[in-house]
Amino acid sequence: MKIGFFAPESGFAAADGASAYDSAQLAVKDINAAGGVNGRQLQLVNYDDASDPKQAVTIATRLVTQDKVTAVVSGSYSDQTLAAAPIFQRASIPVLAAYAVNPGIPATGDYIYQQDFNGIVEGRAGAVALISNLGAKKVAIIAIKNDFGTSLVQGFTQEAKALGATIVATDYSQFGEKDFAPILSRDKSKGATGFYMAQYYSEGQQFINGWNTLGFKYPLVGTEGIDSTTQFFEPVGVKADGLVFTTPFNRDSTEPVVQNYIKAFTAAYGHAPDMVGATTYDSFLVLAQAMKAKGTSPSQIRDGIAATTNFVGVTGTIQKYIKGQVVKAVDLQIIKGGVPHQYATLDNPQLITP
Amino acid sequence: MVVSSLINGIVLGSLYALIALGPSLLYGILRILDIANVAGLTLGAYTGLKVFNATHSLLAALVVAMLASAAFGYLLQRFLYRPILGRGPLIPLIASIGMFIAMEEVFRLVFGPYPLDFPAPVPLPTVHVGGAVVTGVQLLILIVGVAVLVGTWYALRRTRLGLLWRATSQDRETASAMGVNTGLVIATIFLIGYALAAISGVLLGVNYNTVYPTMGDIPAYKMLAIIVLGGLGNPLGTILAAMLIGLVETFVVSYVGFVLPRDAIAFIVLIVILLVRPQGLLPGESSGS
Repeated sequence: MKIGFFAPESGFAAADGASAYDSAQLAVKDINAAGGVNGRQLQLVNYDDASDPKQAVTIATRLVTQDKVTAVVSGSYSDQTLAAAPIFQRASIPVLAAYAVNPGIPATGDYIYQQDFNGIVEGRAGAVALISNLGAKKVAIIAIKNDFGTSLVQGFTQEAKALGATIVATDYSQFGEKDFAPILSRDKSKGATGFYMAQYYSEGQQFINGWNTLGFKYPLVGTEGIDSTTQFFEPVGVKADGLVFTTPFNRDSTEPVVQNYIKAFTAAYGHAPDMVGATTYDSFLVLAQAMKAKGTSPSQIRDGIAATTNFVGVTGTIQKYIKGQVVKAVDLQIIKGGVPHQYATLDNPQLITP
Repeated sequence: MVVSSLINGIVLGSLYALIALGPSLLYGILRILDIANVAGLTLGAYTGLKVFNATHSLLAALVVAMLASAAFGYLLQRFLYRPILGRGPLIPLIASIGMFIAMEEVFRLVFGPYPLDFPAPVPLPTVHVGGAVVTGVQLLILIVGVAVLVGTWYALRRTRLGLLWRATSQDRETASAMGVNTGLVIATIFLIGYALAAISGVLLGVNYNTVYPTMGDIPAYKMLAIIVLGGLGNPLGTILAAMLIGLVETFVVSYVGFVLPRDAIAFIVLIVILLVRPQGLLPGESSGS
């Protein structure tokens, strides 16, 4: 049974692509080793989209017409996933987007599902962390300028205002930004006493460098964009101590599925997995349980995903899907001694329902 | 905030100057924009990182990185550029862009797609100047930057190599007829241009604590803006343009915020200056000024 997969395995996002692809291979291997699905083995059909939406369209067409896959996991960013989704929807092939957060993806149609909470939900959770948990009153937002950053900011701003905080500045930085000290000192001079950093790990590292150069001690909240052991926690080390971030991946979880995944991934690839890999792995677990529950034709798989309730995966418990969007608790992690640890879990239904 | 912006701007400007200087020297002598020089930067960063991890010496890392990139530059001019130099400026330009893209994928295949950290401790103190902080790495960039830039100015203006560079730059055929071994001069400039790229690569890697296959993307096009702004092929103009862009970028972000992409600022400065001064800040050596 063929499962289609695409990720940015070359180009600027190749690190995330490799992470996702490694986890995809591991997931298929684990599912097959456990007897496959209803006695049938899964076969991964992998493509590199090179972070190019045009390439994603070609891949989607190929997966549908030539490879004739029964289901697809997108291990790619929102742009590529958005571009590919309508092709799968027309062909009635179910898709799980592993970590793309754009709310427009599941809106494509009833065959398209999102495995990670959308940016608005995560942004709201970030506001709760910074304002309710860490007590910041005047906050500055420094976000990456793409749909990930803008949807996080949208959710964050709504919730921050509802919680009575003032937003003194919202700035969007580009991919590859390296010098955050100037904007941080400007925000300080505007009176900011708390910061929301909606960045990916490369830019997040540079953000922390600027933060430390200035000797800032303010409350700081980040997002799943920095959630990588090899790309953020290890290189940054104790410099980010005290940083709280929102993520679906709780490494401290006592669930066996989480600890087994971390162990197996580390053994196979020689480094710890990150959030991108974890949500990709989960997407395959959800597909497999959907097939076991309802059957292995594309429409049965779709029904199986839609009927998922309280499924324990590597990235938390999926309560259900609403219009293709996952409902699950947002985890808050805090960095202590250079290592992320569980800080709190936000499961207020109003907050986490998309 | 003025002092800290000034320092940040000068540090950034020094990095830009180091990045753009090699290609500027090469443009001066060959009239080709050598985008592949930035692959020399990435190669230098990776080589420096590997040597640093093995020896824990930043100096050894710099030296070996310069040798590796210089060798790469020599091979490029011998086997890529020399055969196509006579075919006008476009063919070498396209070849250099192709080489740059291909090298990025080679780096990915050899060193992996993940950014690697370059946690080299710099043996310099953190200095406080007028309420601003200058970190050890920033100090290192300033020292290396000033040394390289002064050294280049001296080499061009006061040495025999500089004379040969200027002669070849003004008229390669006449220089050749006068007995200048222009092939050797060109090869020497490639060695220097790529060694400079390696220095920039190592400093970028240490300053931002990260080395990755596509780290040359932004330097590649910013370097173009700086070279054109400086007056094509004038190394001193390039340095001036690099400082200007470093300062403008830093002040805009400090006082206004990320109003527009930082990298757009370089091109806006470029457009404004070229409207006022079409020949660039300091016109090229070849225009006879």
